[in-house]
Formats: sequence, C-alpha cells, structure tokens
Amino acid sequence: MNSVRILVIATIFVFMLLIPVVVASGNDSYIFDNELQVNEGITIETSIHIEVVDVNRIPPERAKFRITSYQKPERTITVFREDGPQVNKYETYRGTSIYFDVIGVYSDSVQFSVSGPSNWRVTDYYDVETEEDLEEVADAVTVPKLKITRTLDIASVQQGQTVKVTFKIKNEGNGTASEIELDESTITGAYMEGCPASLNDIAAGATERVSYDLKIIDAEPGTYELNPTLLNYKSESGASYSSESTSNVLVIVAEEVLVPELGIKVTIESDDDVITCGDRFPAIIRIDNIGNATSGRVTIKSHLPDDVRVADGEIDPVYESIKPGDFVEYDVTMIAYEPGKHIIKMDVLWADAEASASAEFWAELSGFDKYYIYILAAIPIVLILLWLIKRRREYSF
Amino acid sequence: MLNILVLGLGQCGNRILDSINSEAFGGNGMFAKYYSNQKFPASVKTIAINTAINDLKGLKCTLAKDRFHVPHLHGVGANRTLGKKVFEDNKELIMGEIDKRGSFDLIFIITSTAGGSGSSFAPRLVEELKAAYNAQIVCIAVLPFREEGSISLQNTAFCIKELIEEKPNGILLVDNQYLKKYAGDIKSAYDKINETTARRLLFLIEALNSEMLMVTDLGDLKTVMNGGVGIGTMGFYESDNGNTVKSTILGSFKPSGLLFPANVYTEGARAMLIIKGNKKYLDLDMINKTIEELSTEVGQVFKGVLVKKGPAKVLSLFTLNSIPELDSLYASAADAIRTEKVKREESKKQLDNAFACIEELEPIY
Ligand SMILES: Nc1nc2c(ncn2[C@@H]2O[C@H](COP(=O)(O)OP(=O)(O)O)[C@@H](O)[C@H]2O)c(=O)[nH]1
Repeated sequence: MNSVRILVIATIFVFMLLIPVVVASGNDSYIFDNELQVNEGITIETSIHIEVVDVNRIPPERAKFRITSYQKPERTITVFREDGPQVNKYETYRGTSIYFDVIGVYSDSVQFSVSGPSNWRVTDYYDVETEEDLEEVADAVTVPKLKITRTLDIASVQQGQTVKVTFKIKNEGNGTASEIELDESTITGAYMEGCPASLNDIAAGATERVSYDLKIIDAEPGTYELNPTLLNYKSESGASYSSESTSNVLVIVAEEVLVPELGIKVTIESDDDVITCGDRFPAIIRIDNIGNATSGRVTIKSHLPDDVRVADGEIDPVYESIKPGDFVEYDVTMIAYEPGKHIIKMDVLWADAEASASAEFWAELSGFDKYYIYILAAIPIVLILLWLIKRRREYSF
Repeated sequence: MLNILVLGLGQCGNRILDSINSEAFGGNGMFAKYYSNQKFPASVKTIAINTAINDLKGLKCTLAKDRFHVPHLHGVGANRTLGKKVFEDNKELIMGEIDKRGSFDLIFIITSTAGGSGSSFAPRLVEELKAAYNAQIVCIAVLPFREEGSISLQNTAFCIKELIEEKPNGILLVDNQYLKKYAGDIKSAYDKINETTARRLLFLIEALNSEMLMVTDLGDLKTVMNGGVGIGTMGFYESDNGNTVKSTILGSFKPSGLLFPANVYTEGARAMLIIKGNKKYLDLDMINKTIEELSTEVGQVFKGVLVKKGPAKVLSLFTLNSIPELDSLYASAADAIRTEKVKREESKKQLDNAFACIEELEPIY
C-alpha cells in the first residue's frame, strides 16, 4: 500500500515540475496569436504595451517590437522567425515573464504570438501615432497613394504565344490620383497589344485593374526580367507622385517546330571489315526519322567507287513518307573488284534538306589473286627444278 | 667439222671417258652438268661400254644414254676369254649402239689393257669398226701398275699383241705405273691420270678440228701413227710466261711430261707438235727452226699452230721405233705366265698325289 502512495505522489510532483514548461511553450497559454501591421500595438492586462516597430523580410526574417510596462523603461526587442518563445522573454516589474514568437513576416506586417500566464488577456488594440500621421492630421491634406501590382498569367511561354499582363492598381492614399500615366517597357522580340499609356482617375481606396497582351513574336529563348512598371500620377493639389511595381520574370522557351529530320546509316556486313574482291557482300541502309514530323517524299542517292557494283537490290529507292520515330531499312548486295580502301557514300534527300552517311571497307584480293604473284614467281623456280631433275636424270644411269 | 667417236671400255675406259665429258663442260665443276652443256671442239660422240653395271653407274658427267651396258652380270672379272665371248654374244647390240651415232672420221678407243672387259673388247672392236667405218682408229691403252699382279701383266701382254694384230691407226700408251707420281693414293692418281689424258685428247681434237696457222690434220695424224711400231704416247708442256716457244716445244718432249716413259730423241719415229697460245708468244720463225732441229733427231715432225688466248702450250704426239719399257713388261708377263704354269702343274700334281691316296678305296659307312 505504501509503495503505491509514494508512486502517486512522485508522479504528481513530476507533473508539477513540468507545468511551467508547458505554460511557457504550450498553446493553452497564448495571450495573443495574430497579425499586426507595423505601427499597430496591443495592450496586455492594461499595463504592458507591445508595438510593431519594423519588419524585415530579408532573411533572417525578423520583427522589432517596442515594449513598455508599469515601472519599467521602454525596451525594444528583435524577434527572429522560428527562434521559438523561450529565447525571447520579457520580464515585468513583478517578475512575471511573457514570451514572444514570430510565426510569419510579411511586407508590412508580422504574425506573432505572445504567451504568458493563462489568465492574462489582450485588453486593447491601438495604432501608434507617428509624426507623419500627426502632420497629415495637422495639414488635413489629401494625398493619393497608388500601389501597383503586376501579374503575368503564365511565367513560361513559347515563341509565338501571348502572355496576359494584368496591373492591379490600388489607391491606398486618402486623395484621388489623377493624370495617371503608365510606363511599361518590354523585351525585344515581344510586342505589347492594348497596353494603355494613361488611366482614369482612381479615387482613394479604389482599385483598378488593367491588362494587355504581350505577344512573344521572335524573342530569343531565355529567362528575362520584366522591368518594373512605372506609374506617374498627381494629387488633386497637383503634386506629382510615382510608384513602381515589382519586376517579373518571364521565361521564353524555344518554339517547338515540327519538322522531319532524317538520318541515314550504312552498314557493310563483313568479317573484320575486309571484303574479298569479286565476292558478293551485303550492305544495309537504314533511314531513321529522328524529327517530330512525318517526312514528305524521301529520295536516296548513292555514290559508289568506280569498281563497286550493285549485284542485287535497289540501292537508290524512293519512299513516299517516313513517320517520326519510324525508320525504313533495305539491303543491297554489292561486289568490289579492286583491292584497297573503299568508301560508299549515301545521301538521303527530303523536302529541301539532306543528310549523308558513308561506310568504309577494305577489299582484298582473293586467296588465289593474293598468291598469284607468288605462283608466278614460283613458276621459274619449278621450271628450274624440273630442269635440274631432268638433267640429273639424264646423267643418272 | 670432224665427226669423232670416243669409246670408253671397261672401268678404266669409262672413267677416262667421263673425265673427257667433265672437261668438256669447261672445267666448271660438278654442277656444270645441271646448267651447262658439253662443248666439244668438234662433233664428238661418246659411249661408255662396260659389262659391269656398277662401273657405269659410277660415272658422273656422261649422259645415261651414252652409257651402254653389255649384259653380263657383275662383269667378266679379269677374264679376257670370257670377255671375248661376251663381246661376241653382244656384237650386234654394241655395233648397233655405235651405229646410231652416225659416221665418223676418227675413233678413239680408250681401255685399260689389264682388265677383263675393256682389254678383250678393244681388239675385237678395232676389227669391227674397221670393217664398218672408213675412220682412223686410235687406241688409248692404259697400262697397269706393275704390282697389280700376274693376271694384269698377262692381260696387258695379250691385249697389246691382239691390238697390234688388228692394226688400228695407232696405239697411244698411258702408263699408270709411270704416272703414279701424280698422287699419293691410287684413287687420286687415277683421277689425275684420267684428267690429264682427257685434256690432252681434247687438245688434240680441238687442233684437228680447227683452222690452224700452220696446218696439221687427220692425214698427218695417220702418218705419225704409222711410224715406228705404231705405238706411241703424248707429251705436254705449258710455258711459264717468259719461256721462249722453243723451250716450250722442247719441254713437251721431256720424259716427265709424257704419259708413258720413253726417250723421244733416241726412240722416237715420227712426231706431231701442236702449239697453241696467244699469237705474241708464237714466234713462227723460231717454231720452224726448232722443228727443223727436232726433225734431224726425231725424224718426221708435223706441226700445227693454233692461235688462242693464253700462254703457249704444246702437245706432242709421237710413235716409237722401240719400246724398252714394253719389252720389260712382256718379259715380266712371260715370266708370270711361266711361273703360273709351273705353279699350276705343281698344284695339279700335288692334288693328283693326294687323290692317289684314296685310289681304289670306297667310303665305308
Ligand atoms: N688410269 C686409270 N686406270 C684405271 C682406272 N680404273 C682402273 N684402272 C686400271 O685398269 C685396270 C683394270 O681394268 P678395268 O678397266 O678395271 O677392267 P674392266 O672393267 O674389266 O675392263 C687396272 O690396271 C687399273 O689400274 C682409272 O680410273 N684410271
């Protein structure tokens, strides 16, 4: 019985030890978990003020927070994304800790969480009063602020295709933008069709969409960066402003041309590439369509050495067509009459293209021909021998 | 052109004939017969005749068709009586073989006198040839080494006697015994004797068949051979450069250059001199003078001068009035015959005595 009780107590004790750790990193004790714009702030338990000062998307992605609390001086901390809550701790005057964790960094906002005692709550959301705001309020001037975003419907195009380019222009200011001029440059070999040079006025808070066709006519294949689009516009008071879109990347891939492409191959069948003069030997000719289109009429033209004759078969046939990936093969029987090196050249002609191949072989005199000279040389020797034998016999009794 | 027949009889005759055939190749050695032809200084036909087939087989430079085997197994030994019988039995064959070769102006018969075949065939051939051809017949008789024995001597004695009886135009002697000096062993001596004899014979044939500056001919030969006892021999001398033609001529009479020992100055009957060589060595006046001088001592001397390249060479051919060497040979032969006869009678007597012991007895079994 005793031992069971000890085990239960020990287990409880271990749990108690683990709880603060769970609070510090667990989800249950999130005080805040949301996105805040730069210059927005939250108040926790009416006394701790947290404001987003700055965000930075260039890795390491981070956000800078300004924290003020009762009886403590203002402090700024920088939290790196994915650092985890433990390392980013803020301690209050009373000694309670809260933890920061940055989950996502955007162009002017940050998603982050603040964890701490589970009964703590966010008590207020507020905007930080910047000097600029104060100024605007003071002057009560209306200013248009156009934000332009450019998107391409496809990022990779083939020669001859058209890319639809869309501008989304949002007036984020508080005044109407007028005399809006759109300055769009393009890449060589591409032509803009229906790209407006000027736009209608855009009221504060309004969004305008404009698109045009970018025709890729004869641009070299490759990866291009489209320069940012420049917007020049004026406020009601006549002040000039401009803004730029980001740049876009466009990949132009080579146009797939459908053409037949023929390859020819000549194979002479012989033992160790030597052919005997006067003997018939086979040659195999194969024409492959390695292109991507069916060929038209295919003509084959042979160029044989003077002493080589075709004994059997048609060496220059004509084919009406060869499908892509397909081939034709035929064989002829030939005879070479002279010894030495021979080259057989074959041309294949189609449409207005041609290809050629050649095969080499050696021709040798046949056994008899080869020894002919020796036999010739042997004749006098044999005659002399016969003569000697005859003489010997004449003198032997 | 002269038509000449050279017959070599028996082993000795065959071999001298073979030497003649060999010399006719121009002395080009053993292999000449495989590529060259014999070049005789005239139209010369040769036949080697023998009863011993092995002797014919041993010849080297004589055409097979010119070797005639008289069928008689293993020869006749040294038996002249048997030889004569074999000749008689094959006379038609032998004469037929000779007849195939046409007609002749001059016939040489070469034989040893001591053997069986040659010595018995030679006299009979002289007889037959004289009957069949109108040709001069000169016998060249080779005398044996004296130590060869009594049969050789007997055969020689009878052979020469029979030859003389058949009256050939002449007999030229070649004496093995005398020429033994040529070499240490018999085989080399034979070769040397044969070669020397062959060369002299060819020299003579060439001279008889040539256009000569001073002419000697078959008629002269006949006259010379008719001189004395019809037996003679040949001498030869080749000048060293610087020798006068006179000393060369006299050299050819020197006994050391003769084929048979004789003294030309004391025993010579008639002579023929054939002088051959480069014209610059041949002082005709000196030749005439020398011959004149010789004639006073030797008797009739015929001369022929043959202009050919090379140093002066002289062949002398002569007949003798008396032949002391032959006389002594005959004496020895007679002795041998007599001794043989006595020995044989004694042997017979001994055998008869021995047989007498068993006379009137019968074998008892
Ligand atoms: N010079 C010479 N004499 C020879 C030769 N062969 C054998 N003789 C001699 O001839 C004699 C024997 O006669 P051979 O011709 O052999 O007898 P055949 O064949 O029965 O006539 C002997 O006196 C030998 O010395 C030879 O080649 N040259």
